[in-house]
Amino acid sequence: MKIGAIAGITFKEAKRDRVLYLLFFFAALGIVASRVLAVLTVGDRIKIIKDVGLASISVFGVLMAILIGTGLVYKEIDKKTIYTLLAKPLHRSEFILGKFLGLVLTLLVMTAAMAVIFLAIVYAHTARVEGSLLVAVAYIFLELILITAVAVLFSSFSTPILSSLFALAFYLIGHLSWGLELIIKKMRPGTGKALVRALYLVLPDLENFNFKTEVVHGLPIPPAIYLSSFLYGVCYTAFILGLAVLIFRRRDFI
Amino acid sequence: MADAIRIENLRKRFRLGFIPKSREILKGITFAVGEGEIFGYLGPNGAGKTTTIKCLLGLIHPDAGTITIFGRPYSSPRSREPLGFLPENPYFYDYLTAREFLAFTADLFGLGRGEKDERIARLLKLVGLERAADLPLRKYSRGMLQRAGLAQALVNDPRLVVLDEPLGGMDPIGRKEIRDIIVRFKDEGKTVFFTSHILQDIEMICDRVAIIVGGRIVKEGGLRDLVSEKVLFTEVTVAGLPPQTFAGLGESVSARGDRVLLKIYDEAKVDEVVGLVHDRKGRLIALSPRTETLEDIFVETVTRT
Amino acid sequence: MVKSGAAKRGSATGLLLAVLLASGAGIVTLKAATDRVVRKKLPGSSIIYIPSGKFLKYAAFGYRGLAADAIYIWAIQYYSTPAIDDRLDHFDHIFAIINELDPRFQDPYEVGAMIAVQEARDALERARDQALFSSLIRAAFAILDRGAANNPDQWVYPFDAGHIALMNLKDYPLAEKYFAQCMKIPGAPDFVERLRANAIFKKGDLKTSWETWLDIYKRAPDERTKKIASNHLYNVKATIDKEGLEGSAAKFRERFGRLPADLEALVRTGFIREVPRDLDGKDYLYDPATGKVKTVISPWRR
Repeated sequence: MKIGAIAGITFKEAKRDRVLYLLFFFAALGIVASRVLAVLTVGDRIKIIKDVGLASISVFGVLMAILIGTGLVYKEIDKKTIYTLLAKPLHRSEFILGKFLGLVLTLLVMTAAMAVIFLAIVYAHTARVEGSLLVAVAYIFLELILITAVAVLFSSFSTPILSSLFALAFYLIGHLSWGLELIIKKMRPGTGKALVRALYLVLPDLENFNFKTEVVHGLPIPPAIYLSSFLYGVCYTAFILGLAVLIFRRRDFI
Repeated sequence: MADAIRIENLRKRFRLGFIPKSREILKGITFAVGEGEIFGYLGPNGAGKTTTIKCLLGLIHPDAGTITIFGRPYSSPRSREPLGFLPENPYFYDYLTAREFLAFTADLFGLGRGEKDERIARLLKLVGLERAADLPLRKYSRGMLQRAGLAQALVNDPRLVVLDEPLGGMDPIGRKEIRDIIVRFKDEGKTVFFTSHILQDIEMICDRVAIIVGGRIVKEGGLRDLVSEKVLFTEVTVAGLPPQTFAGLGESVSARGDRVLLKIYDEAKVDEVVGLVHDRKGRLIALSPRTETLEDIFVETVTRT
Repeated sequence: MVKSGAAKRGSATGLLLAVLLASGAGIVTLKAATDRVVRKKLPGSSIIYIPSGKFLKYAAFGYRGLAADAIYIWAIQYYSTPAIDDRLDHFDHIFAIINELDPRFQDPYEVGAMIAVQEARDALERARDQALFSSLIRAAFAILDRGAANNPDQWVYPFDAGHIALMNLKDYPLAEKYFAQCMKIPGAPDFVERLRANAIFKKGDLKTSWETWLDIYKRAPDERTKKIASNHLYNVKATIDKEGLEGSAAKFRERFGRLPADLEALVRTGFIREVPRDLDGKDYLYDPATGKVKTVISPWRR
C-alpha cells in the first residue's frame, strides 16, 4: 500500500525529531508535577492531578502535532526529496494522506505513552483506573488528529513558521466558539446575525472533543455526544485533508 | 514502434516574484523519443531542459500541449510505472539506509515481498553498495549517493530511464562508467533519455538528439544526420623541417622545438604536404582530419538563435 | 481504452470536490447536532488557581485592558449562574483582579458592588446567613473604595457606598463619611449634601445636623431646596425640642410622681426656662397622659 509506505517513512522520520522527545519530557514532567502540586492544595487532591495531567497531554500533544506537522511537507520540498518521490507512480493525494497518517501514528504512540504515565499516577493515588479518563484521552487524541490535518494543510503551501501560526490560530478559534455563540444570542435578527451564525457553524468547535471538565468532576456525559463529536471530528478532518489535496495537486515544483 | 516519449507543443509560463512577472520558459516544444533509443537533450543553461523533464515527470503542470509516455498521458501516475528517474543532485532521505530506501521505493512501485528482496539485493550488487547497504544515506559520499540514485532508478526495471545531467561533476573514469551503463541499458532494450552539457559523451553514445534554445527546439534528428562527415580541416604534425617550408600550403599553428603543427583547410594540399615532408626528409608525426563535431553544431546553433 | 488525461484529472477533481462538499455538509449538520446535546457546564470551577491581580498584570503582556474585559465578561456570566453554589467565595478576589488590571474600567466597580449587595440581601432573606451578608457587604465596600481611590474624579463610588451604608446597614456615621467624601468631588449632585445632613440627623448628632441644615438653607439656590431645608430644620428643631421636653417631663415625674398637666408646669417648676415653639412659631402638642410631645403638623407637609 503506497500510502502505508509513505506513512512508514514519515513515522521513521518523525521518530527522530528531537522536538518530539523534548515535548514528551515536559508533558511527563507536567503530569508528575501534578502529584507534587497536589500536596499544596487543600481538599480534593486527585482533582488537581487529573486536571494537570489531562491538560499536559492536551497541550503538549497539540504542540507536537503543530511543530512536527508544519514541517512535514515543507521539509520534503525544501530538501528536494519530493522530486524523486513524485516521479514515482504516485497520486499526490497518496502523498498527503501518507504524511498525515505517519504523523497520526507517531502521535498515537506519544499519546499512549503520556496516557500510561498519567494513569499510573492516578492509579498510585486512587488505586483504580477510571474508564472515563481513557475516554477523555481518546477524544483529546481525536482533537490531535484534526490539528495534524490542519498542520499538514498549511505545510503544503507555507513555511513552517507561518504554518505554525495558522495552525495555532485554528486551535484558539476552535476553543473560542462558545464566545461566538454568546454574541449571536445578543444580536438582533437580520442578515448580520445570519452571517455570523453561518460563520459559527463553519468555524471549528474543538470544545466538542473536550471532556476534561466532565471527567474530572464526575459529571455525566450524554451518550449522544460521543457519536456526534466523533463524526464531527471525522468530517472536519476529511474536509481539511480534502483542501490539502486540492491545493497540493495544483502545485508546481520548480 | 511506439514512442517512448511524445511531446507536442509543450508550453509553460512562470509567474515569479512579488509583482508577478511572467516568463515563458517553454514556447511550444515538440519532439519524440523512439523506444530503444538513446536520446540526448541538450541546450544552454536556462533553455528549459530541466523544466521539460519536470513536466514529463508530473512535477510541473504545463499550460498547454500533450506529453505521453508509452502512449499514456503524463497526468496519470500510471504513466510513471515504466519510468526510472535519476535527478541531477541526489536528494534522498538521509535517515534511511540504502536498503531501506530501495525497499521504500519498491513499495511505491507495488512490488511484492519476495520480488522486492531479490531485486534490492541484485541492485545493491550492481551499483557496488553491498557493503554500505545498511549505513544511513547521510554517511554516504557523493559518488556513493549517485550510485544509490542509480539503484533507485532501476528498482522497477524501467522501460524508460530518464537521467538529468548524469555525467556532470564526474571524473573521466566515472563518466566512462556511466556511458557504459547507458549503452548497456540500450542493449537490454531500454530507452534512455538524458540531458547533458558534455557533448563529446553525447556524440559517443546517442542515437538521436534535440537541441533546445530559449524554450524552443532548434534542431532535432539522428546524430548521423545532424553531424556530417565533412572534413573541416586536417591537422598535421611534422618534425625536422622549418615552418617556412609549408608556406602557402597551410596555416602554421605552432612551432615548438623542432615540431610544427599545421592546419590545412584544402584537402588537396594535404597530399602535397605529405609529399613535401617525404622529399625533404622530415618526419610525419601525426595526421588527423577534423570533422564537424556536435560541439560545432551546438555553438553555431546557439549563437545563431 | 485509456481514459484521456484531461478526463481522468476531471473525474479525480470531481471526486475531490464531492468529498469536500460531503464533509463540509457533515461538519455543519454535526455541529448543529452536537450543540443540541446538553452538556453540564461548570464554568470557572477551577477558580482557585487564579493568582492575584498583581501577578496577572505582568502575565497579561501589556494586554491588561483586554484581560480585564475578558475576565469581567466571564464574571458576569459566572455570577449569574445560581447553579454554582460556591461562586461567592472569592467574589472580591475576582473583582480585585479586574480592578487591578484596569483601574479606570468603571463598570466593574458599580456592577460588582451591585451584585454583592444583591447577593448579600438574598443571603440574609433566604438563608439567614449573617456571615455571608457581612462578608459580601464588606466586599461591596472594598470594591467601591477601590473605585474611589483609582478614580478620584468619580463621585458615584462614594455615593453608592453611602447609599449602601444608609439603606442596607443603617450605619449612619459611615453613610455620613461617604456622603461627605462624595460632596467634595466636583460635579457631585447637590442632594448629596442633604443626604449627609440627614445621615448626621439619623446618627443622633442633632446640633451638627441643625447647623448643617442651616448652612444648606442659607446657601439654597432655589425655592425648592430652601423649602426642603426648611422642613428639615423644622424637623431637627422639633426633635431637639421633643427630646428636651419629654426628658424634662420624665424628670418631673420622678420628682413629683406624676406627669405634668401641661408644658407650662415644667417652666413653673424650673425644669425648663421657657416653652419652646416650633420653627413656625406654633405650639407643640403635649399629651399629659403619656408625656409625649408631637408637632402640630408633619414636617414634610408644611
